Amino acid sequence: MNTDAAAAASADRRGSLLNLEAVVVAFGGLQALGGVDLQVWKGDRLALLGPNGAGKTTLFNVIAGDVKPTSGRVTIKGIDCTELPARFRPRLGVARTYQKTRLFRGLTVEDNLYLAQTGRSGRHLALLRSGVDAEFRERARAMAETVWLADVIGVTAGDLSHGQQRQLEIGMALVTGPEFVMLDEPASGLSRGERERLVQLLLSLDPDITLLLIEHDMDVALRAAQRVMVMNEGETVASGTPDEIRVDPLVHAIYLGSEAGLRGADP
Amino acid sequence: MSPTGAAPGRAQSRRTLRRLLSARNVVVAAATALALLLPLFGSNFFVEFVMTRTMILGIAAATIVFLAAYGGMVSLAQYLLAGVAGFMVGNAVVAQDAWSKGLKLGWNPWVAVLFALAVTTAVAFVLGALASRTTGIYFLMITLTYAVIGYYVFGSITPLSGFGGITGIDPPGLFEDHPQRMYLALVVLSVLVYVAFRVLAVTPFGLALQGIRDDPVRMASLGFNVSLHRTLAFTLAGFTAGLAGVFNVWWNGQIDPTSISIGPTLDLLIVAVIGGTLSLEGAWLGAFVFVAANNYLRNLPLVDHIGITEARFNTIVGVLVLLIMILSPDGLAGIIDRIRLGLRRLVHLSRGSGAGPAEAAAGSKP
Amino acid sequence: MRYKPTFRRLLSLVGIVAVFALLAASCGDDDDGEAAPATTAAPAEPEAPAEPEAEPEAEPEEMEEMEEMEEMEEMDDHALVHLGILGECEGAFGAFHEDVVAGASLPFITFAGGTSNSPTSALEGFSGAVVAGVPIEVVGIGCGDDTPDRIIQEVRKIVEQDGANVVIGPLSGDESIAIANYAKDHPDVTFLNGIAGAQETTMVVQAPNFFRFNGDGAQWNAGLGDILHNEAGWDTAAVIADDYSFGWTSTAGFIAEFCAVGGEVISRVFPPLGTTDYSSFVQQLPDPDEVDGYFWAVGGSGTNASLEAFLAAKGDLTGDQHAGNLFFSPALAAALGTDIAGAYVGGFATLPGDVSTPAIQEYLASAEAAWDSLVSPMSGMEPGSPAAAAGFGFFYGFYSSALAFIMALEQVGGDLSDNHAALRDALANIEIDGPYGTITLDENRQAIVDTSVQQLVLNDADEVVSQTVALIPAVDQSFGGTFSPQTPPPDRENPVCETRDLPWAGNAIPVVDGVPQS
Repeated sequence: MNTDAAAAASADRRGSLLNLEAVVVAFGGLQALGGVDLQVWKGDRLALLGPNGAGKTTLFNVIAGDVKPTSGRVTIKGIDCTELPARFRPRLGVARTYQKTRLFRGLTVEDNLYLAQTGRSGRHLALLRSGVDAEFRERARAMAETVWLADVIGVTAGDLSHGQQRQLEIGMALVTGPEFVMLDEPASGLSRGERERLVQLLLSLDPDITLLLIEHDMDVALRAAQRVMVMNEGETVASGTPDEIRVDPLVHAIYLGSEAGLRGADP
Repeated sequence: MSPTGAAPGRAQSRRTLRRLLSARNVVVAAATALALLLPLFGSNFFVEFVMTRTMILGIAAATIVFLAAYGGMVSLAQYLLAGVAGFMVGNAVVAQDAWSKGLKLGWNPWVAVLFALAVTTAVAFVLGALASRTTGIYFLMITLTYAVIGYYVFGSITPLSGFGGITGIDPPGLFEDHPQRMYLALVVLSVLVYVAFRVLAVTPFGLALQGIRDDPVRMASLGFNVSLHRTLAFTLAGFTAGLAGVFNVWWNGQIDPTSISIGPTLDLLIVAVIGGTLSLEGAWLGAFVFVAANNYLRNLPLVDHIGITEARFNTIVGVLVLLIMILSPDGLAGIIDRIRLGLRRLVHLSRGSGAGPAEAAAGSKP
Repeated sequence: MRYKPTFRRLLSLVGIVAVFALLAASCGDDDDGEAAPATTAAPAEPEAPAEPEAEPEAEPEEMEEMEEMEEMEEMDDHALVHLGILGECEGAFGAFHEDVVAGASLPFITFAGGTSNSPTSALEGFSGAVVAGVPIEVVGIGCGDDTPDRIIQEVRKIVEQDGANVVIGPLSGDESIAIANYAKDHPDVTFLNGIAGAQETTMVVQAPNFFRFNGDGAQWNAGLGDILHNEAGWDTAAVIADDYSFGWTSTAGFIAEFCAVGGEVISRVFPPLGTTDYSSFVQQLPDPDEVDGYFWAVGGSGTNASLEAFLAAKGDLTGDQHAGNLFFSPALAAALGTDIAGAYVGGFATLPGDVSTPAIQEYLASAEAAWDSLVSPMSGMEPGSPAAAAGFGFFYGFYSSALAFIMALEQVGGDLSDNHAALRDALANIEIDGPYGTITLDENRQAIVDTSVQQLVLNDADEVVSQTVALIPAVDQSFGGTFSPQTPPPDRENPVCETRDLPWAGNAIPVVDGVPQS
């Protein structure tokens, strides 16, 4: 791991993990993000709210390195990542999920969870298995249990139910042993019971793990997060604790609608 | 709950044995045994021509299948790479005083093989690196471009190809005047290639390659260098295609730019499509069907009367490919697979067992 | 394993593209060929080349039975001629498949008592031919596509599977080099070239069991350089030719002779085979006022395209400043106008229809007697006169080889023992008094032939036609020593331009109104 990063992390227990400065993303003439500033501290639990098209996923993609910002700066653990491609993020302890599941549909649950770990280790070019692999396999099986997939561990990912695929999606992010997890609508398409299990899972995470969450389900978002940021049309419009947001009239106006209550509308 | 972790050794080895004795493996092993015994009862022409060519095309087509099934890349450059190896062997082995064209380096044939494979691997690495950022139809197009450019490159660099080609390329003493030995060597090589590709599929490298096939974006966000991975897979396939190319030039005795023109390039793709682009066995199966159709179809008396002859060979193969594509996009291997599943279901039904559907659902294979 | 549906769709797409490519290849093989100097070859619809005497036990499913066939063949080795013919059913010359098979068959029908199996197709083969007590059986007709790889596979099938011990063919240059090399490894089979004209085939490969009874591409252009320098008054010339072995060899014949008699070649341009836009190559040629004339050896669809590019770039195109090899046909006038009249054209294996001798008439009549009709580019790929096909060089090349074989086999009384030793000796020393001139072989088993020079002229109806202006007797392959196994084979730089004595220079027999003036 990078020594700068280690130094920055040890300097302050609650040090800044992620820093966005005036991030702008424009797709052609369409401005998806209009100068967003964001600071996330180690151990933070931050939820991003906002209507569809507010720029939440674009913001995610910028942080994850899948989209390069048109201007602005992205710093993770003190390292300027603005220009670094996505594949360098895992070395900084970043893991993410996708709104639309991105699984290795031709491989088994175990292989999915196994592969998720090898990318960071540099083992993925190896032609032989070794002791490290056994360790990865063990962790993969343990994670399958954590995300309630132990009985289907040998099933091909493409054959899983939708809910199971969401669980695997999260498992693949968590199995890498990340310091910073970004979850893009983890609860979408889940049943009520599954949502409850998801919240329990998120609350049971090691307090040192930093969590950034996009979630339409207000119940899930506000229970899992300590801090909420509301976006609209590519800009931050409000931020505060879950309780503050719950009563913010502006948030109600632009996002929740008059009688939507705590149920977000899924696309 | 832990299914294998603490399993006792006996159970594990029994499970391993059962996995090794799967229907698929048993059939492949039987086919291998048959191929090895063939010289005892097959005619010389059948062994030295039909089956030898089948093995060569099979190995080359297997590289297409490997890239397509594990890497999601349909490559049209594999015949070009085989041709590069062939040209290198030709340039290296033909003696200075022999009448031929090319560089006429007059090297030891085995040194020439190493040289040819090294050059082919290097070329594959460069071409693979250039194509590694593309997927799907774009990858297909860029490799098609390689094939076309390759033809023109060898056509215009006449010191390397003599335009009319390099002739009189003899195999090493081990195989010269021993076509049956060459055939047996090809069977062994085919088995090695087949086993290597299948074993590769379960190595960290192979799994990562399949991950890239399924979702390159996710792979990148998990820290994989997707382009490098694709490049290395392409290089490996290129090296293997080079092996086929070496044997091809030994078997053919000559190579010229038309040997790697678009015709043979498409033929190889067709071999892969007939067999099934997602099944390694299919490569050899497709090669056999293609070579046999080419050589024996015209002998059918009936075929004569409906105006189908060697001149119509392309039409027949075209119709054959179309039929196979309609019946099963996974080629003959896919058809066989379905028949196998169907039979199994029948057996289950007749036994009245309820284990059928689950097994059938999980039964599709790489 | 499951795949993303897009990938599966891609695979289906790949398959469908492959199918269309194949269908396109099988339908469009013949229309862009370099075929048909005398008439433009219509897209070919090759008729069913039936496997003559299809052996019943050659069922594909029962490969084991091949062995029995092989044993049978060994038993019969000395009692039978198993004849294989290497035709060309695909590629640039694919339209001529039936022509060349007919050419190889005709002598067996005319001189050996054979009868054609079909009155309307040579591809059905012939039966009943016997030479000096030896029955002749056609065991296979190969299907080349003018690539060496393909013809090697075809000859292997014919020799190694069908058991041919005598092979007539192939048609095209690069193929013949491959076949001659193959012949070296198969000393038990006798090979007679079809009409392929690459120089190396006999001069350099020198397989002891490979015989060629036709000239090479250079020999066919003999006489042209002499006439252009000494009669048309060209001192300098530029050449433009296809960049492959036939283009080089054909050009080499012109250069060797033009330079031998004192001319100078000041520019050589070689566009790749299959070029469609010739403008950049034509630009490399000197302007009409900088050179006395141009020699063209661009074949197929390139002939017209290159000349039209010249017309566009250099302004005018007149017969007195242009000459060509056999591809320069009267048909060019259709696109280029009658100004092309006056151009000299190199010869080929036969003579144009303006020369008619009793021997030629007899030969053409024998073709008419053998079949009612043949499908040939000479008759626009419709069933047409067999004589029209026989009058063209492709047919005649195969004919003269088969004729030589029959004569030699008769001479030795059907003796095929000791790897055809006596037969080969007879072949090497035979003299054929053929309808289009005398043919003998040199020490490399390469024909010494009579060839001709033609000129495009206007007839009474103001149409451009081909007229024979000179016959050049006994043209050998070496061009007075310009070419030998030690000299570099013809290519972009070779031969170099130098004066030397040519055995036939000044010996050309002028032809006036179709009558040789000897």
